[in-house]
Amino acid sequence: MYQTIQDIQNRLKKNEVWRNTNFDDVLTIDMQTPQKADCAPANLQCNIPNLEALRVETVNGFCQTPLHTTAEGIIVGSLRQALAEHPDLAGLIYNQTPAQNPFKELNYQQYSDGIFVYVPDNTTASIPIQLLHIYNANLPIVAQSRNCIYVGNNSRLTLIHCDDSLNRQICFGNNVTEIIAGNNAVVDHYKMQNLNDVSGLNNQTYVVLDTAAHLLSVAITLNGGHIRNHSEIIMKGSHCDVQSHGLYLNDKNQRVENYIYVDHAYPDCRSHELFKGILDDSAQGQFNGHVLVSQGASKTEAYMQNKNILLTDKAHIYTRPFLEIYNDDVKCSHGSTIGQIDETALFYLRSRGISEHTAKTLLLYAFCDEVIRKIQLPVLRDRLGDMVKQRLHGDLSVCAECALNCTSSCGCNTQEFKIDPTRL
Amino acid sequence: MELLRIRNLHASIGDKEILKGLDLVINRGEVHSIMGPNGNGKSTLAGVIAGNPKYTVTAGEIIYNGKNILDMPVDQRACEGIFLGFQYPVEIPGVSITNFMRTAVNEQRKYRGLDPLSASEFLKLMEEKKKVVEMTTKLANRSVNEGFSGGEKKKNEIFQMAMLDPTLAILDETDSGLDIDALRVVASGVNKLRKPDNATIVITHYQRLLDYIVPDYVHILYEGRIVKTGTKELALRLEKEGYEWVKEELTK
Repeated sequence: MYQTIQDIQNRLKKNEVWRNTNFDDVLTIDMQTPQKADCAPANLQCNIPNLEALRVETVNGFCQTPLHTTAEGIIVGSLRQALAEHPDLAGLIYNQTPAQNPFKELNYQQYSDGIFVYVPDNTTASIPIQLLHIYNANLPIVAQSRNCIYVGNNSRLTLIHCDDSLNRQICFGNNVTEIIAGNNAVVDHYKMQNLNDVSGLNNQTYVVLDTAAHLLSVAITLNGGHIRNHSEIIMKGSHCDVQSHGLYLNDKNQRVENYIYVDHAYPDCRSHELFKGILDDSAQGQFNGHVLVSQGASKTEAYMQNKNILLTDKAHIYTRPFLEIYNDDVKCSHGSTIGQIDETALFYLRSRGISEHTAKTLLLYAFCDEVIRKIQLPVLRDRLGDMVKQRLHGDLSVCAECALNCTSSCGCNTQEFKIDPTRL
Repeated sequence: MELLRIRNLHASIGDKEILKGLDLVINRGEVHSIMGPNGNGKSTLAGVIAGNPKYTVTAGEIIYNGKNILDMPVDQRACEGIFLGFQYPVEIPGVSITNFMRTAVNEQRKYRGLDPLSASEFLKLMEEKKKVVEMTTKLANRSVNEGFSGGEKKKNEIFQMAMLDPTLAILDETDSGLDIDALRVVASGVNKLRKPDNATIVITHYQRLLDYIVPDYVHILYEGRIVKTGTKELALRLEKEGYEWVKEELTK
């Protein structure tokens, strides 16, 4: 596997979208492809209080949840099983987006299994579906899962998409998620990532929206050796609404990348992107946003923002907000900021007796809150707000307190895990 | 009893000297008003007493409650009982007023060796103090000053003052941007908080505010110094005649 990925990286060196991506920091020469027999269900308790969700789980890329149909008529479970049992329904989404890059091609050729979700037309999923991707191997592995999500016309679905390490083993996840949303469909897609410091994740999401469909995507990267969130969103009709946001909190030598491509080809569509990050120690981040507004896309509204706080001189952010516009009748804006905490706000807080350290922590949290607030599900918003607070206070260890309550004894409680506001 | 003594205070922002040898003494129980033309150092004085790091004190001293406070960071001065009501209160999206005030109250209590207030004690205190400025809005989930009108922001300053119960309050143009009703509410809030052992400095341009908050002394701050001190009649004369006669007197 190591050589395969090296070959892919070599092929991508001249590709504008991928040329700055290099996962060597989370690859080892002895990486294996996991075997199904080694991937037992993880038996985790989800630690989001009061979250009622239908949980579907993969371990190292293998789906642990048999395909079944809910009372609402939603078909959910193993993708491979769905391909065998419902080839017509699976075909609505399977291979509907082409393998346009070699990482995706590799996933298409070699994925172990993944999660299939089919929401029929005119159906509102009453509870969210939690896609839980767990990495828990004894050897360094490359795990590949593939998710196919279909949301029918006038239907609604909330996805809580978690990637979590259960131990401190090296793992590289090369995952692809395809989402097709029908006319007037509403999809909320929350991505939460909490991997150990030596693991990597190349998380590709491809979304195709039909007329007047709405997508809300919020990606929260709490920890991980090297995480790339690669999203491509295509609107295939007018009056679509895309909200794609992200928050990343990284320290040590971690790397985090957000690539987002939004394709406006039809009139009267809107897209909003807000990505924010705090980088500590020698962490490196990339933001690469591309909005393409084609000639026919009149009355497009597209806004893109990336804001960063760097806590040390060694932390880096490479940011490139990019709009490509071929129509005059549009409202578009883009911007990036890299900065420190607002001195006026800091003085205001301190003038009430709040210590410098506490005031900075409050302001760092406030910086994150703008993204946290985008989460529409109250229990998830509160929980993630708490997790971000813990991350800023240094209390959160890699899996003891993520979305999961880690029961395995990986010893991660001893791990120092802290964004340190005193360095500002 | 003396609360604040400022002696020969020189302060600059960058290379520009703004305060040029200012003297001021304030006793407990007193209300002092500082007036003066724009750009002569009123807000700088407020900022320097509160400890805003953007100003550099180049000479002089500020003795507050028997202690030289110039070496104290801003948060410590606040814990010692100094409160600055901002001319332009800062909007802080993402920090709720409840969380902000609870943190402030408890950090100040900790400084004084007191136990933190429990959530219910704190909420009770907050409800009680909201009445001081006739605040009816639900504050719990609102961010600090975010989307507040000018009047709400100033009321919020006095609300914070009520919560923190300072010994020395400096109100920097608290009347600017207020309509008559809001002015009355804010002023009566300040009056309710007056006690024999605390003192207030009111910085203002207009005599109008002093109809409500009646000062014991009125000072004129001109070119970085207190050039004239009087009683509330001085403010009335300024309202009528402007500052020209003060400037003329000085050049004589």
